[in-house]
Amino acid sequence: MVTPLDIIKKKRAEAVARIIGRGYLSTKRVYVGMATCEIAAGSKEVMEVFRQAISNGGLTDVYLSQKGCAGRCNLEPTVEIVEEGNIPVKYGKVNPERARQIIEHHLKNNEVIEEWLI
Amino acid sequence: MEKSITIHINNKPYTVDSGQTIMQAADKLGFHIPRLCYHPKLSIEGACRVCIVEVEGMKNYVASCSFPVNDGMKIHTNTTELRRARRDIVELILDNHPLDCHTCDRNGTCELQRLSYSMGIKARHFEGERKHYDEDLSSRAVVRNPNKCILCGRCVRICSEVQNVHNLSQAHRGFRTVVMPAYNMPFSESVCTACGQCINVCPTAAFVEKSYTQELFEQLNDPNLIKVVQFAPSVRAAIGEAFGLEPGHNMEGQLVAALRKLGFDYVFDTQFSADLTIMEEASEFLERIQNKGVLPMITSCSSAWMKCMEQFYPDLIDNVSTCKSPMSMNGAMIKSYFTEKIQVDPKKILSVAVMCCTAKKYEADRPELMFDDLRGVDIVVTTREAAWMIKSAGIDFLKIQPEKVDAPLGLSSGAGAIFGATGGVMEAAIRTAYELYTGETLVDIELGGIRGLKGIKEASLEMDGREIRVAVAHGLGNACNLLDLVRKDPGRYHFIEIMGCPGGCVGGGGQPYAGANSIPLDEEALQKRAKALYDLDRGKTIRRSHENPDIQKLYREFLQRPLSPTSHKYLHTHYQAKLPRGIIPDKAIF
Amino acid sequence: MRAKSILTLCDGPTCIHKNSRVIREALEAEICKHGLSEEVGIHLSGCLGMCSKGPILIINPGYTIYGGITVEDIPEIVQEHLVHRQPVARLVVQEDHLYNRFFRIFGDVDFFGRQMRIALRNCGIIDPESIDDYLSVRGYEALAKVLTGMSPREVIAEVKKAGLRGRGGAGFPTGLKWDITARETSDEKYVICNADEGDPGAFMDRSAIEGDPHTVLEGITIGGYAIGAVKGIVYIRAEYPLAIKRLEKAIAAARENGLLGNNILGSNFSFDIEIRLGAGAFVCGEETALIHSIEGRRGMPTPRPPYPSVKGLFGKPTLINNVETWANIPVIILDGGEWFSTVGTETSKGTKVFALAGKVHNTGLIEVPMGTTLREIIYDIGGGIPDGKKFKAVQTGGPSGGCLPEDYLDTQIDYESLAAAGSIMGSGGMIVIDEDSCMVNLAKFFLEFTQDESCGKCTPCRGGTKRMLEILTRITEGNGKEGDIEKLERLGNMIRKASLCGLGQSAPNPVLSTLKNFRHEYEEHIYQKKCRAGICSNLVTYEITEKCIGCGACRRVCPVNAIAGKRQEQHVINQETCIKCGQCFTTCKFDAIVKA
Repeated sequence: MVTPLDIIKKKRAEAVARIIGRGYLSTKRVYVGMATCEIAAGSKEVMEVFRQAISNGGLTDVYLSQKGCAGRCNLEPTVEIVEEGNIPVKYGKVNPERARQIIEHHLKNNEVIEEWLI
Repeated sequence: MEKSITIHINNKPYTVDSGQTIMQAADKLGFHIPRLCYHPKLSIEGACRVCIVEVEGMKNYVASCSFPVNDGMKIHTNTTELRRARRDIVELILDNHPLDCHTCDRNGTCELQRLSYSMGIKARHFEGERKHYDEDLSSRAVVRNPNKCILCGRCVRICSEVQNVHNLSQAHRGFRTVVMPAYNMPFSESVCTACGQCINVCPTAAFVEKSYTQELFEQLNDPNLIKVVQFAPSVRAAIGEAFGLEPGHNMEGQLVAALRKLGFDYVFDTQFSADLTIMEEASEFLERIQNKGVLPMITSCSSAWMKCMEQFYPDLIDNVSTCKSPMSMNGAMIKSYFTEKIQVDPKKILSVAVMCCTAKKYEADRPELMFDDLRGVDIVVTTREAAWMIKSAGIDFLKIQPEKVDAPLGLSSGAGAIFGATGGVMEAAIRTAYELYTGETLVDIELGGIRGLKGIKEASLEMDGREIRVAVAHGLGNACNLLDLVRKDPGRYHFIEIMGCPGGCVGGGGQPYAGANSIPLDEEALQKRAKALYDLDRGKTIRRSHENPDIQKLYREFLQRPLSPTSHKYLHTHYQAKLPRGIIPDKAIF
Repeated sequence: MRAKSILTLCDGPTCIHKNSRVIREALEAEICKHGLSEEVGIHLSGCLGMCSKGPILIINPGYTIYGGITVEDIPEIVQEHLVHRQPVARLVVQEDHLYNRFFRIFGDVDFFGRQMRIALRNCGIIDPESIDDYLSVRGYEALAKVLTGMSPREVIAEVKKAGLRGRGGAGFPTGLKWDITARETSDEKYVICNADEGDPGAFMDRSAIEGDPHTVLEGITIGGYAIGAVKGIVYIRAEYPLAIKRLEKAIAAARENGLLGNNILGSNFSFDIEIRLGAGAFVCGEETALIHSIEGRRGMPTPRPPYPSVKGLFGKPTLINNVETWANIPVIILDGGEWFSTVGTETSKGTKVFALAGKVHNTGLIEVPMGTTLREIIYDIGGGIPDGKKFKAVQTGGPSGGCLPEDYLDTQIDYESLAAAGSIMGSGGMIVIDEDSCMVNLAKFFLEFTQDESCGKCTPCRGGTKRMLEILTRITEGNGKEGDIEKLERLGNMIRKASLCGLGQSAPNPVLSTLKNFRHEYEEHIYQKKCRAGICSNLVTYEITEKCIGCGACRRVCPVNAIAGKRQEQHVINQETCIKCGQCFTTCKFDAIVKA
């Protein structure tokens, strides 16, 4: 008999497959905070910069996702860049200009911009 | 499930039943815990916090009106700290209440006044800003004065829970909270049915009837007018209470004498026109039965019910009897039959009605009820107003020599008397309809099944082998429940009596306020008032409307026969659907 | 500055028993020996819930968990991990508790590292609008587990074992509430999620729903199964459009995946959830008022008993818990009630989310184990008071909480300790106050809010808070009278004990607690007509000192021409004319104007 637990495990496997299909295994994963507070602080514009960088082909091998609020109110909007094997990097007070810099330096050239880190 | 448990009140043990509140248990043990928003007929509000008590082991005080007793519970009702908290609470109420007791309508009958006296408030500590609202004088029947409102919520609850009208609700928050109709509409435009039950339960003068006493005193002094008055059946059964009597005294004779002393030239009795109503209504019912008219037929005596019907049950307009109420029938006869008899211009008549009802003030103004450009009744005063006028004129009501009503619109049968109690109209109608239909006299004329305070009462009887099913509802909430059944199953009944107020007219919105040791709409008081009317019926030789010789004479001399064209002109009318502002129309009906 | 490595040592009772305090000393000595003190920070945490593997040491960055360590292991850990950056594999513990993912990403800074995220475990980690993301972090596995092999009674037993208490404020034992509701027999029962977050400055529920809506849905569904309900309702304020949108999306996705609706996951349990919007009245967070609001009536509380668990929505037995409580449920089911109960204190288990705000460096949303002290939250997580100002008080529990002064900083966060200190847990507001705030004015501010949001039903709250506010207003305006303090206390105590609902009962808290802890400020206002923080404008006088160089800047900004003086000479303020607007004070570049 198939139990609910069996069903949920199958569903999870399918979900993971779909996430991978969306490029989760890319070298770098970028998470932009998109809660009400972050949006109020300007994260929609930041998200747009990353989105365009990916769609315009400037940025490859990057998995972009939104996320909820991690709780750092005074440093919003926040952006995390996770790379397997490395320590996750968290930027605070990101604006579109900083986002472009992050794309140029961090995502394209692996240079972490220390002064904006949390 | 109830079992005996032990509770301690003020350190003394008592055995009580479980499953009741602290207040209920304390009441039975002779501890009258002070209270304000509580009313046994209404849901528990818990708002005033006057009935708080201390329970050992509880961090906070508990409201005794809502908190159940538990075995071993230790209750204190009168500690120093508790007394002070309670006094502070009543002080807070007073701090936002006008200090105008001596000019207030409820002076002497105000529950807040009594309560603050019993709290022993000698100094005031927290005075500050007070609220200021305009009085709503728009309605012909009910005056709303939010300045006097203490937000106990009784009016809100009776209007929705008992009357199912839902006209009132609290609005705004905190200190600005105020009771009002939807959208703060004037009462005249709201769904208010003018039943006056808010007045009955209001502990202060936040709701009172629109008073016409000063105007009436002036007109009684006008030598050019012929002053005629009629009074409703249940006025005589209740007015004694305004003079300190226990409920249930029939004060008909004293009332007639007092009205004459006030300056009325003719004192008639609405019981006479109740008989007249029966003649017309029973005939109408039989006609509907015989000619397959719209059934069930629903009575139309109660003015609050008529407003309720127009607003909420317009689909049943054709079911409602076309008969005017007894008051309006009497008014119509005063200004036609009677003026012809005494050969006076009807315009010279001042027609006054003393009613147990506030909605009758509204009814008197209805354009549908006019004839020959005349209103049958010019001024309606309530039982309370009449009592006040008698006192104000210095008439010693209790010692006065009883007198008799005048002819030709005064003599009544027992059937007319019982109109004032729920089920009475139905009982009276059956007494006559049975005889008109079968040609035989109904022997057992007391219909126990439709007497009493049960919300909806049903009965059936046989007329010439035909089963007639009847139902009676009192209070608009019960009425709505009954009519919802009728909507689903129109064939269920043939004849329905509806009265807008709990208990029928004896519980009308214009009846005397509860005394210091009583509560508004106390069931026992209602039953005693009703009993006075049933006793009156039993004491009469003539107990069937059609046997009233003055009714017979009226038909002979003026109306010819029930439902005649003359009858229709003076005694019948038609109602129309009303859509008050703020009501979302039910598409299925409108 | 960021420390390069952060060591978190579990300071829970079990770990202490297993020698963690000695280990700490050894660690400090070893770090010092290697000259790493500057770049390595050591923190203590409350119980991390891994008692069986204690003592526990977590090293960030990298979130390496060491378990079962002894003093002898310390040199190796410092040498290998901190110097050579090579974890000591033999001591590393593999942990798969649900809450852990958060720290893999965030655990390396003070602000996050000292927290423990159970309810908010996925917030900031997953895409809240993707059910795939939630499924990938073992989402809905707790529900599946329940439906596969747990009876409703077993579910309730697990919640009871966890010792979870209601996170809405009152702290009623959740398992007991479930049990009472489950025992009621009725043809219909309801489950309600109270997301009517009304405290000013609080956003715990909003963030939880925006960050991880499925967790809440999963918790509600498990609750529905446990008590035998078929319908759940999320009551959320309309001011939270994004949370509502995400919740709607989550409900739709859950239905599509057979996680809501008929025969969930092939079982014979059917359950659905709908959203009801509230108009934003503070009192609608009170459960009976909330029920009225859902029923379409005016949101006003009614006396309890009867409790909603017996007679709730539409008169049926109803289980109401708040968002944070629901979010804990899946963790309790998957990681076990027993594990959950190891976190926190004797009487208060698990974690609590706070919205940290006010005069503190790191404002934000935090989740800490019960038992964490106020000092740890304010100084370690919050980073202390900015601008070198002095700490004055912390206000917990939202507008109806109490203000605690410095003496109470070592109070542990749990329901009983906070109550004993004169405040409340509330739903989780925490406002830090520095020396620049006037406590009388602050109490007035909070009372203004509760007075405004009082539903107006019961006399003590409606009339009493109004009169208290009037007295406070006159005190702050310099018109305080002898006896005012006593009146405030008399009214406050009466309101607390006699009000109908929790809102009224707690409304006087800010006043009573400041009267207790900062009474001298009230007395100064009333008798000396002085406001030491310089906030109450009527009680402030501005004076120009000899530092004045006579530039005339103050004279020019003064709107009422109260300042006179010749160029390059000390100016003077005419106190009669001065309206105390403070413009001169802010304009002066030479600190020549002082408040007195």
